[in-house]
Amino acid sequence: MSEPAIFGIRHHGPGSARSVLKALAELQPDLILVEGPPDAQEVLPLAADPGMKPPVALLLYDPAEPRRAVYYPFAEFSPEWQAIRHGLQHAIPVRLMDLPQAIRLALEIEAETTTEPVGPVDEAAADADSSEPPAVNPTEEDRDSDEDEDEDEDETSTLPDLRRDPLRWVAEAAGYGDGERWWEHLVEQRQDSRELFQAIRELMATLRAEADAQSPPEEAEQRREAAMRVQLRAARKEGFERIAVICGAWHVPALSDVPPAREDNARLKGLPKRKLAATWVPWTHGRLTHASGYGAGVEAPGFYQHLWDSAGEPTTRWLARIAQLLREHDLIASTASVIEAARLAEALAALRERPRPTLEELNEAALAVLCHGETAPLRLIEEQLILGERLGEVPDGTSMLPLQQDLQRQQKRLRLPPEAGQRLLELDLRKPNDLERSQLLHRLNLLDIPWGRAERASGKGTFKEHWRLRWQPELAVAVIEANLWGNAVLDAATARARDKAQHGEQLSELTDLVEQTLLAELPDAIGEVMERLQNVAALTSDIPHLMDSLPPLARVLRYGNVRQTDAGLVGHVVDGLIARIAIGLPSACGSLDDEAAQAMFDRLRATNTVMGLLRNPEQTAIWQGALAKLSDQSGLHGLLAGYACRLLFEQGALPPPETARRMGLALSLTGEPIQAAAWLEGFLHGSGLLLLHNEALWGILDAWVSELPGEAFTPLLPLLRRTFAGFPAPERRQIGERVRRGGVKRTAIASETEVDVARADRVLPVAARLLGIA
Amino acid sequence: MRMSTLLREHAEQQFAEELRVLAETDRRPRPPNWHLSPQVVTVYLLGGALDNGFVVTPKYMGNRRLMEIAVATLATDRALLLLGVPGTAKTWVSEHLAAAISGDSTALVQGTAGTGEDAIRYGWNYARLLAEGPSLAALVPSPVMRAMQTGRIARIEELTRIPSDVQDALITVLSEKTLPIPELDTEVQALKGFNLIATANDRDRGVNELSSALKRRFNTVVLPTPDTLEEEVEIVRQRVAALGRALELPAEPPALEEIRRLVTIFRELRAGVTLDGKAKLKSPSGALSVAEAISVLNNGLALAAHFGDGRLQAGDLASSLIGAVIKDPVQDAIVWREYLETIVKERDGWKDLYRACREVS
Repeated sequence: MSEPAIFGIRHHGPGSARSVLKALAELQPDLILVEGPPDAQEVLPLAADPGMKPPVALLLYDPAEPRRAVYYPFAEFSPEWQAIRHGLQHAIPVRLMDLPQAIRLALEIEAETTTEPVGPVDEAAADADSSEPPAVNPTEEDRDSDEDEDEDEDETSTLPDLRRDPLRWVAEAAGYGDGERWWEHLVEQRQDSRELFQAIRELMATLRAEADAQSPPEEAEQRREAAMRVQLRAARKEGFERIAVICGAWHVPALSDVPPAREDNARLKGLPKRKLAATWVPWTHGRLTHASGYGAGVEAPGFYQHLWDSAGEPTTRWLARIAQLLREHDLIASTASVIEAARLAEALAALRERPRPTLEELNEAALAVLCHGETAPLRLIEEQLILGERLGEVPDGTSMLPLQQDLQRQQKRLRLPPEAGQRLLELDLRKPNDLERSQLLHRLNLLDIPWGRAERASGKGTFKEHWRLRWQPELAVAVIEANLWGNAVLDAATARARDKAQHGEQLSELTDLVEQTLLAELPDAIGEVMERLQNVAALTSDIPHLMDSLPPLARVLRYGNVRQTDAGLVGHVVDGLIARIAIGLPSACGSLDDEAAQAMFDRLRATNTVMGLLRNPEQTAIWQGALAKLSDQSGLHGLLAGYACRLLFEQGALPPPETARRMGLALSLTGEPIQAAAWLEGFLHGSGLLLLHNEALWGILDAWVSELPGEAFTPLLPLLRRTFAGFPAPERRQIGERVRRGGVKRTAIASETEVDVARADRVLPVAARLLGIA
Repeated sequence: MRMSTLLREHAEQQFAEELRVLAETDRRPRPPNWHLSPQVVTVYLLGGALDNGFVVTPKYMGNRRLMEIAVATLATDRALLLLGVPGTAKTWVSEHLAAAISGDSTALVQGTAGTGEDAIRYGWNYARLLAEGPSLAALVPSPVMRAMQTGRIARIEELTRIPSDVQDALITVLSEKTLPIPELDTEVQALKGFNLIATANDRDRGVNELSSALKRRFNTVVLPTPDTLEEEVEIVRQRVAALGRALELPAEPPALEEIRRLVTIFRELRAGVTLDGKAKLKSPSGALSVAEAISVLNNGLALAAHFGDGRLQAGDLASSLIGAVIKDPVQDAIVWREYLETIVKERDGWKDLYRACREVS
């Protein structure tokens, strides 16, 4: 029996991948062991499926608690991926070997519960052994951090420098700035032979000896390596002769220098376990980068992909792609420039004594020749080529939960494929397809799968919806989680809405839910939600809450036709709400201080807008009744009384002479001047046209101001100024002119032109492009 | 080394010793007509110790990759355009590149608004032209033409100050590597080793933008202002020491502290924010380059040597410092005043400088 051949690799590197493939072809192994979670062994054969297009990731999750999930991403240029595919295509058995995630996750949970009884918040504490920088996105990224232990520069420990970045030592000895670059030049750029792996093994053995001398390896790392050894021994016992092992370079010495089996078995004995499910999910290049917080990430997935794709002459092809990209963006990039850039890149490589240009040289050549020293186009190159965003695909047969399958069907049917990049989507709700798309997105949002974000939510354009779509790989987990609610998107969303309704206590929360439910078109849920809303509304004595919940419902009622939602139910609720508001309003407005009055003032305005929107004579009458009561109420804050008076006057419920009488009353000199000023503010809010048109009102105000005693005038001045400052400039000017002329003559009014919203909206796409957000 | 009586030596004169030793020890392949191999040219520019212990002084302090790109560009016979704000050592780099590659940095055309085509192509000796008619003997070659004939590096300073139509005379030179002389129905073909280094700044007003046809024929390297305070201090210190020697100023070389203060002021005003990032400042209209910092210090040294006690004091710096900062008598004066009163006054140990500046302004 021969010794197993152990290939130490870096997790994502085209050079490693190529070398591994070559070595495998030479070795012709009868078993391939790949570092990876054995839990996923079942789904491994899918890797050879023609429908499988990397980047993809193995996803392991706890069916009982899908939030606990671990990803193992693979790009096409990942050595493990190539090894797995090689094995599957040549009918060589492939096995994953590592400490099963079932155990690692269970251990993690244990650690959590012992250290931090609060629970799942503290995944970071359990991952303290990883060198993960303070997580960029704590909820998502922490899960990846399991991964970075897998890195060849195995970063399992926090303190010792060597363990954290072992290659750094070698790299510095070789005169490189960091380990990444050194590995890049010596391993990934190289294309030859197995001697490489021998060299890696020796290097790592030395490094590990050094590291162990500094500090003993972490328990977690020891367990993992013990598990790997156990699996290796088992394979040999089964009689495999030529075993190929592909693992992170750091683990190589641990696998070739084997302690007694007894020790390893003891280490693994009695560890807790959880049951996990495994599947494949699509992944993105963006999620493979360091910047995304992925510990074993690489710098330039797009470039690596390119290196993998174009084995022959990466330099010229890369530069030609840059030229094409620049041309697509209307920047000049001639073939002649590409030639010059290639020459410069090669000259630079020669100058730096490198066998061929690396990404650095290519970037520098592109900057000097193709971009004429400007960095802006270089950003474009970085974004589009070096990162090279792409989203993988998994075959249809991948074991998926019913909800995932349903979602995929709907995505296909509605021609709304998930995409890695950000995309703006404009939906015209009058078209059936767009309407369904909108409903799907709303349903997903209800299920906490935030694929799309509604932009300018429910603006004035009633049949247009704007969405910002971005499919993040983690959404796959969200989908699995949502599967708890049902097996189809519609069912799940309905169940979720019902559940939310049952547990909703706050009125505003429920009205939001109503809006969501209606937008998502969930006929089976809406009845229950509305019922719940009505019940809660009936019990709510809090008028402000009632008023807050009115606008969303009114919008539904008004625009329901466009969305083809059944608005009858809502109408009933709205009726009830308005009646309750009208009854409770006077008492809710009593004895308010300035701040509370201001808040109530805003609510009155919003409610009044709703009335304008609904145009229901009955409701308007009720509303006006409430306002009339308000304006008569004694002791009411001036702001509200004035505003109520103004609204009634505007709506023709209060004839001009009566209005003038009330104004006179409010402004009578016996009253408190501050109250009078507040009344004025409410009455004149936003527009002075009333004053200009109505001689009587003008006269009253004029008399009041001129008869104010001097000591009262000064404190009032700021209040009055605040009122008048809110008027449009032409009105202010005319008021001023009129005052100068003694207020005799009436003048024509040129108010500011109304804004034509539809026309203004048309400018937005252009403005968006100018600002570069489109 | 022999004491030179020249006011300013060319790079190849000043560093003749270094160039000689480098050429002797250089074992790498050299492009045709190059005096040094590309690798050794970068060593000359960036400094370092040779195997035999000989120390090469750094000529350019900053990003190593920029120099590598520049040298690699010249090695591929593409023309090099050095771009940057004033005082970022563009001219300095171009001179040393020419000196290291061709052993001669004198094939120079200074670009001005009045530079004509004959400065780039050729002119005529009119007496001879009238007497003998057109002939090669009556031709007065330009520096560019001479460089082509001898396979050397030609330099064009301030390319963007040259009128656009004259700039375009370079196109044939750069793409065909020939210079036609239609009057004599002949041409000059460049020898191997010929190349062109142009400098241009992208900040000055009144520049003639390069045509895209010309731009395409250059590889562009943008020289930045120094990244860190330490880097800038080091540049100023070295250059002041070298210049002081050249000008034979008897004053003691300035203390590092004084240089640091000066560079701090320059960096803060240039960036519009204090070094600790806490306070915002107004920026004056001038570029406040490293080159200006060097000249302020030199000025101060001269003052100290001839009118002071031989040691650089705050007062010696103040007058030339103000001259460097205030380019626009109204706006910049306000900027400077604000800076003086809000920043300099408050800073520990800067009292003497504050008082000196107050006295002068």
